[in-house]
Formats: sequence, structure tokens, C-alpha cells
Amino acid sequence: MLQRDSSFAKEALRYGLIVLVLGFIVFPIFWMIVTSFKPAADIMVSPPRFLFTPTLENYYHAIYDKNFLFYIKNTLFISVASTILVVVAGSLAAYSFARYNVGDGHILFFILSTKMFPAIAVILPYFLIFRDIGKTDAGRFLGIGLDQPGALIISYTMFNLPFAIWLLVSFFQDIPRELEHSARLDGLSRLKVLRKVVFPLAAPGIAVTGVFTLIFCWNEFLFAYILTRKAASTVTVGVESFFTLQGILWGPVAAAATISVLPMMVFVLAMQRYMVRGLTFGAVRG
Amino acid sequence: MSQSLSVSLPQQRRASGAVISDRWFSILLIAPAMAVILVFALLPLVYALNVSFRFADLTRGGIGDFVGLDNYRRVLADRAFWASVGVTVKFTLAAVILEMVLGIAIAFLIHSATKGKGIIRSLMVLPLATSAAVTGLFWRYLYDTQFGLINYFLGLLHLPQPNWLGDYTIALWSVVLFDVWQWTPFVALIALAGLQALPKEPFEAAELDGASTFRVLRTLTFPMLKPVLFLVLVLRTIDSVRLYDAVAVLTRGGPGTVTESMTFYLYRTGLKLFRMDYASTMAIFFLYAMLVASLFALTPLLKQFSNRASEG
Repeated sequence: MLQRDSSFAKEALRYGLIVLVLGFIVFPIFWMIVTSFKPAADIMVSPPRFLFTPTLENYYHAIYDKNFLFYIKNTLFISVASTILVVVAGSLAAYSFARYNVGDGHILFFILSTKMFPAIAVILPYFLIFRDIGKTDAGRFLGIGLDQPGALIISYTMFNLPFAIWLLVSFFQDIPRELEHSARLDGLSRLKVLRKVVFPLAAPGIAVTGVFTLIFCWNEFLFAYILTRKAASTVTVGVESFFTLQGILWGPVAAAATISVLPMMVFVLAMQRYMVRGLTFGAVRG
Repeated sequence: MSQSLSVSLPQQRRASGAVISDRWFSILLIAPAMAVILVFALLPLVYALNVSFRFADLTRGGIGDFVGLDNYRRVLADRAFWASVGVTVKFTLAAVILEMVLGIAIAFLIHSATKGKGIIRSLMVLPLATSAAVTGLFWRYLYDTQFGLINYFLGLLHLPQPNWLGDYTIALWSVVLFDVWQWTPFVALIALAGLQALPKEPFEAAELDGASTFRVLRTLTFPMLKPVLFLVLVLRTIDSVRLYDAVAVLTRGGPGTVTESMTFYLYRTGLKLFRMDYASTMAIFFLYAMLVASLFALTPLLKQFSNRASEG
């Protein structure tokens, strides 16, 4: 009897602690979503109000007055374009590393070391180079000057490739070689093997890598902040536009933040099984 | 190491229409990615290196004359630069230690839970989906001295209500706290994955032998978790040293310059004060430090990776 009581107490303590930890983790996000539905009069009050009549006025303000969907549109275009480039170039390279072991690991190591690269170290040259390219006709035509989507697409492709290649290599290594061998013996060319055997088998891994890349692009701030002013700004920079002379409009900020964060949360929840693997570049298979 | 997929019989090679060798095929496959990486990583580097040896004030006609090592000497003698290095080191130590300790503790806590692991994990991944620039901005509202929830709760408990972002002695710790909020779940998730992947047999044997919990942890659990924990440590350290987003939205380096991290100072010098020469020199220093550090951090990691690659 005593034994059972103490183990019950232990369980209760354990779950109590877990609830506390989860509360700390979830609360800021929860409060952000709650604030986004608060009327303006209930936001800047002390003590904070927990009961209020929910309203959509903050969303209205963010979408109509601040044109926040414009930033969503930019972000979507830039993130999707970068993701496609990363996934295509990354898959080809990763397959080559996984199967042919090009460069005997040295090239792969070099690629990983560019991941250590602090973005800030190249941001000034990027700024100057894109500024100069933007002044040329070709640059204007391709949209790769400052405050144009091309500049961000190039930056995001570069900065996500190393991670994507590492993650993809781990997925390609999971595919049994024998299948490719027999396809080759059946007379398929190497490209056909790639298209008809390898890529279909690696599709889940490629999709996971794509979603991770999309999330990283979507949430990126430094490049977006420095390489854009307005026309090509993404959500992370757009939220900053709610700083006004009268102070920060917390209600609309919360609404805009909720709009920009929610799609990524859905992705992350859907990808949960691969979270650990993705976040460690495929090193921990979780 | 990995065996190639070439089919050795000549007639089959012709039948499959292979006009190029395996070697060329494999090089062609990595060409697009390598081109992007070489052009957009190394070119800017060369550019930065070049600017760091010149006079380059954007307010006075852009990139100018060669000045030798002047910029390097000036950076090394610059108090603000060393102060920003100090901020970065302080932040990195505090954030990484807290995240590792708390993350590992949380991983053990969840690992021992019998029910609801799925839901627990789902809730834990949420901060990882958000951008520091977006949620960080909202944390300013939580930290607000007048309307913020944090001080409201502290008030209910009759605890002191600090000026989180405005107080010289506290501001940096407020940035640390935000980072801990966002990244502790990351450490916990990976440590948890490591715990769940541990083999059962050695632990059962230890239990039969009557080994104490502490001894099992010290001689079995931690040694077996070491590679995973080391990886998390390296990843978190790399990220923390680059601290920018949280500072940019929470404090903008203030009050004064007490939260000005190296990256933030570099950004301010280059793009607010337009001293590209000076900022590029700092970038080179930063990069050099990261390279030296990566020699120590990455070599063991790489060994682990390449062991796995040769198994695969």
C-alpha cells in the first residue's frame, strides 16, 4: 500500500513537472494567439486582462491597413523558389556523395564547414555585390538587385544547400544498393536509374528536406532585413513595420505574427517524426 | 569505401548507353551544387578579404585605396569590438550551458513518462517552428514593464519586477532567457531521441548487478549518449555565436551597447556607419575564429559521420 502511494506521488510529481515545462514552452505562443484576438482597449492595460470579447479587428488592421498579405506573398514566392533550387541541386549532389563517394568525404566536409559560416561574414559583400548587379540591365531583368526577390533566392539557396545535402545523403544511404544494381543490369542508364528507381524511393526524404528548407527560408531574418527594403521584404521584416511613432501596435503585431507562424507550425507538426533527423542534418535518426 | 555502381561487362555498358564513366557522372551530379557553393560562398569571402585591406567608407565614395593591415590593427585596438566579443562569449556560455542542462533534464523527465509522449513532443516542437525575429518581437510585449505578463505574474508572487530589457545588468540575460525558451526543446528532443535509441541489454544487466542509478548514469547512459550530446553542443554553440535576430528585435544592442553581440556590432559598423572596410575586417576575424573552432569541433564529428558513411 505504502509502495503504491509513493509511486503515485512520484508519478504526480513527474507529470506536474512536465506540465510546468510545457507551460513555459507553449505559453508565449498561446498568449500571442490570444492577444491577436483582443480588442485594442484590452491590450494596453495593467493588470493584463484574461477575459475579453474576441474580435478580428487586429487581423483586419494587419491585412488591410498594413497590407500584411503582401509580405506573405513575397515570402511564399521566395521560399518556394529557393526550396526547389535547393532540393534539385541538393538531391543530385547528395546522391553522388552517397553512392559514388565523390571526393572521398573531403568535399562533403568542405560543404559542412560552409554551414559553420557565419552569414554575417558574407552579408556585407552580398550587399555590395547585389547593389552593383542591381544597377545593370541584366540584374534588373533577372531581379537580383537589392530589394528584389532574386537576391534573397540566391542567398537562401546558398545557405540551405549544405544542410540539405547532408540530410539527403543520410536518406540516400538508407536505400538499398541492390535495387540500383539490378536496374543497371536490366540495361537502364544511370540517369534512368536515378529517375525511375532512386528518386521515387527517396521521395519521402526529399520531401522532408524540402519542408525543412522551406521553414528555414520562411523564418530567415538577417538576409531579408539587410537585402530588402520594402518591395521584396518577407514576413520577418514585415512584422517590424508595426513599429510606429505611437509605439508598437501589439494587437496587429500579434495577428501578423500568428498569420506568419501558423503555417510553419502545421508543417512542423506534420514532420514531427523527422524533426530530430532534420535538425541534426541526418546525424541522429531519431 | 562505397562501391561504385558501374556494370563491368563491356557489352552491358554499351547496352545501357553509358557514354561517360562513373567518375564523370558523379562529378556532373555535384556540379550544380558545388557551383552555387563555390561562387556564393567563396566569392563574397574574397571580396571581404579585399575590402579588409582597403579604405572603404560608403559615405565617402565606396571602396578606395589599399591600406595594408591598418584595418586589422584598428579592430584589434577597438574597445567596442572586444566588448562585443565579450557579450557574445557571455551569451554563448550562458545560453548553451542552460539549454544543455535543462534540455537533458527534460529529456530524462519525458523519457520516464509512460503516457502522452506524443502530445508532449508535439508541443515541444512548436517554438522551433517560429522565427526568432517574429516571436522575439512578441517577447518584448511579455517583458513589458507595464503591460507584460511576466512582471504581472512576478507581482502576484510578490517577487521583484525587473525592467527586463531596459536594465543594464539584466538585458543580456533577458535575451538569454528568450533563447533558452526557443532552443531548450531542441536539445531535449535530440537528447530524448538519443535516450530512446539506447540498447536495453546493458541496462538490464546493470540492474541485475544492483548498480546504483548514479552509477548507471555515469558509466552507461552518459558515455553512450556522448556522441549525440556532443553534436547538439556543437550545433547550439555555432548558432549562439552568430546571435543576431534576438538582439535585433528585443534590444537592438541596448541599453547602451550591453547586448551588442559581435554580429550586431558588425552589422552596425557596416550598414549603419557605412565603414565597410572595418566591418569586413571584423568579418574576417569572425570567420577565422569559426574556422579554428570548427577544426576542433568538426573533426570528431566528421569521423563519426564518415564511419557511418562507410557502413552505409
